Amino acid sequence: MDRSSSRDRAKRELVPVQLLSIIFSVATILAWGCRSARPHATGGRSVLRLATRDDVPTLDPVAGYDTASWAFEQMLYDTLVRYSDSGVQLVPDAAVRWETSADARTFTFHLRRNIRFSNGRTVSSGDFKFEIERVLDPANNSQGIEYYRGIEGAPLYSSGRAKSVAGIKTPDPWTIIFQLASPDPIFLAKLAMPFAAAVPPEVVARYGKDFSRHAIGSGPFMLKEWKSGQRIVLVRNPYYFLPGLPRLDAVSEEIGVDDNLQWLKYETGEIDIASIPPAEFPWVMKTPRLKALVLSQVSLATSYLGMNCQIPPFTDVRVRRAFNYAINKDKLVAVFNHRGVPASTILPPGLPGYDPSIRGYPYDPRKARQLLEQAGIPKDFAPQLWIRADETQMMLAQSIQQDLALVDVHLQLRPVAWPSLLQAIRQPGTVELVLSGWEADFPDPENFLEVLFARSQWGANNNSFYYNPHVDALLEKAALLTNLDERYKVYDQAQRMIINDAPWVLLYYPISYAIRQPWVHGYLLNPMRPARLERVWVDPH
Amino acid sequence: MLGYVVRRIIFGVFVLAGTSLITFSLAFVVPGDPAVAMAGAKADPQTLSLIRSQLGLDQPIYVQYLRYLGRAIRGDLGRSYIRRENVTRLILERFPATLILAVTAMVLALVLALLMGVLSAAYHDRATDRLLLFVSLTLISLPVFWLGTVMLIGAAATLRSFPLGGFDGWRSLILPALTLALGLAGYYARILHTNLTEAMEQDYVRTARSKGLSWLGALFKHALANAVLPLVTLAGLDLAGLLSGVVLTETVFDWPGIGRLAFDAIFNLDIPLIMGTVLFAAFLIVVANLVVDLLYAWLDPRIALDKGQ
Repeated sequence: MDRSSSRDRAKRELVPVQLLSIIFSVATILAWGCRSARPHATGGRSVLRLATRDDVPTLDPVAGYDTASWAFEQMLYDTLVRYSDSGVQLVPDAAVRWETSADARTFTFHLRRNIRFSNGRTVSSGDFKFEIERVLDPANNSQGIEYYRGIEGAPLYSSGRAKSVAGIKTPDPWTIIFQLASPDPIFLAKLAMPFAAAVPPEVVARYGKDFSRHAIGSGPFMLKEWKSGQRIVLVRNPYYFLPGLPRLDAVSEEIGVDDNLQWLKYETGEIDIASIPPAEFPWVMKTPRLKALVLSQVSLATSYLGMNCQIPPFTDVRVRRAFNYAINKDKLVAVFNHRGVPASTILPPGLPGYDPSIRGYPYDPRKARQLLEQAGIPKDFAPQLWIRADETQMMLAQSIQQDLALVDVHLQLRPVAWPSLLQAIRQPGTVELVLSGWEADFPDPENFLEVLFARSQWGANNNSFYYNPHVDALLEKAALLTNLDERYKVYDQAQRMIINDAPWVLLYYPISYAIRQPWVHGYLLNPMRPARLERVWVDPH
Repeated sequence: MLGYVVRRIIFGVFVLAGTSLITFSLAFVVPGDPAVAMAGAKADPQTLSLIRSQLGLDQPIYVQYLRYLGRAIRGDLGRSYIRRENVTRLILERFPATLILAVTAMVLALVLALLMGVLSAAYHDRATDRLLLFVSLTLISLPVFWLGTVMLIGAAATLRSFPLGGFDGWRSLILPALTLALGLAGYYARILHTNLTEAMEQDYVRTARSKGLSWLGALFKHALANAVLPLVTLAGLDLAGLLSGVVLTETVFDWPGIGRLAFDAIFNLDIPLIMGTVLFAAFLIVVANLVVDLLYAWLDPRIALDKGQ
């Protein structure tokens, strides 16, 4: 190979240096040129900019049963009744008033007359009936079907033996009557779920299973753009029945943005509301400027460690109680920066029927060790705790592991993916311990006690495979009581019995947090539902 | 040539059938109940059994597979359990974003690799060569998630020169494309460097040089064409891999492509979507393989495809 003279060589050595300089200069100029004044310019319109990790699975109320879908569905659709913005009291939505029969079997709703879908068509009682019939149609695979099976004629309709549900009557366009097969004092709450929202049948007929992409409702906003995995944009529904609302012109949500990227976007002013990543949480709460912008709300939820009452030695109530005494809940909530309140009841604060007089099991490792010895548990006992594979769950599990080690229980942690965990905990004899939680679907003790502890829920939500015939009898009795005070008393008895049997270690009530920009006002967290946005406004900024 | 193409297409169909069988079987092996995945954590047993019957999950596995295969042949990959939408539609909707990212990254990688490879060969065994080799090794070693995060924090959050993720015009393309391209560029540059230095010592280059062609002239006119050939295979297959979805880069940069779709599908145990994305990836790789082989034969006439060489 020819090698040039040293001068030529020196010349050639210069080339890359010059080249690198040119590349660097071009990159700098390009980077500078790309500087953005303010991303997502709103053009003088009042737009709330949000970001989320999860894509919105659906905008069809027949299908949605998750926070991401419901957050948008409650902006797009109206139900007959809904929850207040920051509480769990039922307030009128499409219905201006309603009557409930004394036996809690007949519910009559009178609709507002000025409600229109975002395409301008007036909403009638038939639109509500249509949607509930969609939910009850097995072809639609709706997860809401279980909530409306109690309507008279619903089973016949679902099995294809009736053309419509006999128990839903629409005598005129402004009245809808529900007749139930048996009393259901919480039927109103079931009608506040997005499953029961009004949708226009002609639009559903036109788009079929693609209705989700062409969603039309009568809520405060309407769908403008939905690019899967990318962005969803809602704009004001010009026909919304409440004058002056919504106060925003549009809501724009970026999809696929994880908590950390959300935080960066919040810091650079690209989004208006953000969740707070665990790593940033202590710093945010120590910074007065940021702390003033933090919103918090104790959720209507309970986190617990479930013990499988059918797998020895957890068949022995002394072992289950020992675990309750052994776990330090104050330390547990401190582990994740106090984003939860130590729990002593199954029903969380804020839920009707919550009983603050229940003290639960105090932290007492000595008593725990005594109970374990009485039960004949050896000092090398090493049960397996199944947890969802994520950072926070792992931290909590490690805290529990340390506590139990003090009473000679050597917990083995088994982190698994969420879908796998869901399947495993439903299999009898598979999971001896699980770290889990339950969020209310509607504010009633039935939604916790019946769903999580009744024998009929083995293989479904009763993942501790708990059974006490006295508790089952109380649950059956309470479910039919229409006098709410009496109902809550019976549920309280059941709750006390369950806590005494100790199938769960009650851990904490989670607190949800968010942070807003200083220019955002009227944003309220709800303990049970995603935040409503029709009363939110944004200052020019 | 035509016979070869037909044979490869038939072979490709078998590969896809095999892939579909494997992914379908895996869906039954991994823990997780599709009915629970669809109905959610709170579903009651009655709802679960209704959903199982609606989806045909109560049928024997071979019946379910044959039904799936029959629909897949017609381009219908089923409906997502979680999104309740047609899987083919979801994939095709996300594909353009991945296509733009993958092609841009590949073009950037090749340009950078050519630049680095030629320079390091030109200055073989000198300081520039060593520097470029070090740079290329560093680029190969940088994990994509780290590089992506550093770029986001540095270029986007601190300098505010680029958007903080998302898919919003050409500016949002630069950082994710660079993140993908740098590692590939380092790898290709090293290959190119080795091939070029070897090629420059071959007889045909010596002959050209003895006829008076300059060193650089010989490199560009004779050595480069031969040294680049192996890159065609590599780049073709890498491009297919990129087109199948680049999970980490798409996740870090909030890029709405196939990779993130597949990631979400796996996370939610959305079996039709998992199978759809895997089958789509297999299809791309089969096609890319074929294209690469044809391209190779076209670029190097010594390769005769019909004879199976």
